[in-house]
Amino acid sequence: MNPIYNALVYVVWFFATYYVVVFILLMLMEKDDIRSGRKNLKIAGNPKVSVIVPAFNEEEKIHFTIKSLKDINYKNIEFLIINDGSKDNTSKEVYANIKGDARFRFIDNKDNKGKAARLNQGIENAEGEFIATMDADSIVEKEAFNKVLPYFSDKKVGAVTVSVEVIKAKKFFHKLVELEFILGLSLFLKISAMLNAVYVTPGPFSVYRKKVLDEIGGFDVTNITEDLEIAYRIHKHGYKIDNCVEAKVSTFVPDTFKQLYIQRRRWYSGAIQTLYKHKKMLLKKKHGFFSFMIPYNYLLIFLGMVMFLTSVYMGIKDFIKTMFYLQYTNINLWYRITHFQFDFLAFGNISFIGASSLILGIVLLLIGLRIAKKNMLQRKLGIIGYPLLFFIYQIFWIGSVIAVIKGKKVKWR
Amino acid sequence: MEMRKKVLLIGFLITLFLFLSILAIGAIMDSKRQDNIDLQFEGMYKDINDIQQMTLMSEVYGQSMACIAFKTKLQELDKKVWNMGIKLEQYRVASEEFQKNPYYLDQKKTFNENELTYMTILTKIKSTCEYHQPVISFFYKNADECQKCDSQSFVLTDVNEQLKENVSIFSFDMDLNISTLNLMTEYYKIDQYPCIVIDEVPYCGIRDKNFILKKICEDENISGCSEILK
Repeated sequence: MNPIYNALVYVVWFFATYYVVVFILLMLMEKDDIRSGRKNLKIAGNPKVSVIVPAFNEEEKIHFTIKSLKDINYKNIEFLIINDGSKDNTSKEVYANIKGDARFRFIDNKDNKGKAARLNQGIENAEGEFIATMDADSIVEKEAFNKVLPYFSDKKVGAVTVSVEVIKAKKFFHKLVELEFILGLSLFLKISAMLNAVYVTPGPFSVYRKKVLDEIGGFDVTNITEDLEIAYRIHKHGYKIDNCVEAKVSTFVPDTFKQLYIQRRRWYSGAIQTLYKHKKMLLKKKHGFFSFMIPYNYLLIFLGMVMFLTSVYMGIKDFIKTMFYLQYTNINLWYRITHFQFDFLAFGNISFIGASSLILGIVLLLIGLRIAKKNMLQRKLGIIGYPLLFFIYQIFWIGSVIAVIKGKKVKWR
Repeated sequence: MEMRKKVLLIGFLITLFLFLSILAIGAIMDSKRQDNIDLQFEGMYKDINDIQQMTLMSEVYGQSMACIAFKTKLQELDKKVWNMGIKLEQYRVASEEFQKNPYYLDQKKTFNENELTYMTILTKIKSTCEYHQPVISFFYKNADECQKCDSQSFVLTDVNEQLKENVSIFSFDMDLNISTLNLMTEYYKIDQYPCIVIDEVPYCGIRDKNFILKKICEDENISGCSEILK
């Protein structure tokens, strides 16, 4: 083994393990909050809430979103659905579904300006003290605002995120994404909130204090991951992002693996774009723990990618070498496989590093599922396949980095 | 905030503990590897001593008694020598530290010297006991200098697995600079690596499995050859 590769593996292992261990510790400490929410919080009065739903070609799913909005039991509320120049029957669907409900307003734009621009249009037209942004392919639970609004009792809280879940995890990769959402977009955001380091206000559903949105200038229309970028600016202006893990929004995930790749390439390219835009925020004490956690995350992702690429290169090199050997032995591969002799002592430290990472990853997942009270048996296929996520996302990240380096314009859709 | 710092610190300590545990397991494994090699060496040395005694006995009491004993002993030792070589190579790949370890280098040197002793005795017995055992000596250098040496080693492993106890293969690391081995290379006029010597005839440059099997089967009538020569 190459000593530089060995050193890289040790470094990545240490950074990643530290991350996972802290994640597990915080989850265990916060488990009561995760399970039942912060019961002692209260918000004065009955502040008005505006829910903004930008929609582009959502004729198939928007009626689910509208239905869930109608079911919301918070009284002082308005819903603004904003068409972003859809080419399908979104408009027709919206009109048909909101008919007779005075809480809904529909702005039927004919031109396409992008999600961020439409969110800003919604903010301009909103009357609420709090703004909720929601994707037109998501379903929010009816108790959401009763659970979320008390988190704004702290005046420094600029936004609150909720748990994001997957609707209908049928395919194998949906089951993996479902677990990723439970860990990454629910529990991890809760833990990040504890550290005042929430890095994203997820598009499916997040709630903002309107005063803060006005102060920071709304969403960045030039950014392809506006929900990530705005989180940086909320921190930059000295506000906190909290997480109400007990409130849930469910969202559809891409149908095909290719669509998932396109979605993630947008997310990750946007993440790089945002990181570059806000580079001056990094490692600055005045921006709090967030400014240290972000570079730590990206350093880990970068090192993981380098390790992955090096491993793939070495694997291919070994494979070619073995093939080269085999040509001298009449390709007697089957004989080698069937006569393989196991010797535990032939395993080096790198093998233990790999095994321990796998075990820790699974432990993290199982503790997470247990704390979030999710049925493990129902998710057994996802749990077994979960380690695959590491490889899948490395490929997504590499695709995103290449797109950014090549200056390829990654579109929202 | 205090709690957060505490968690970060505890997390760091746990990670450090896990990291040190893995290093400790690695060190224990290195020591186990040494123990395992020591154990195998012990058995091998004993066998070589037995053979040396038998050689002496054959000179004193005549060949017929010693030759019977030789055959069984040699087949047993053959397997041990080859397995020992494989084990040393496996452990070298498993642990960078083990490879740099002076213990490993010493043992490898001793192993090569013993292999040479054993090969010499075997060559002598072959003629005195009319013992038809093909012998292959494999001379190699480290992989950086000799890319094809690795391939040749792979081929010989396959040959050994196919012919089992019917062939004796000895591999000699020329990087160890053992004087007796240098003498052998002069004797066989070896000028490039990898080089194999099949029953006293050197073939330098990489040779594939078919070539080696044919050479062995041309000269010796051993089981498995009839199929190879078809």
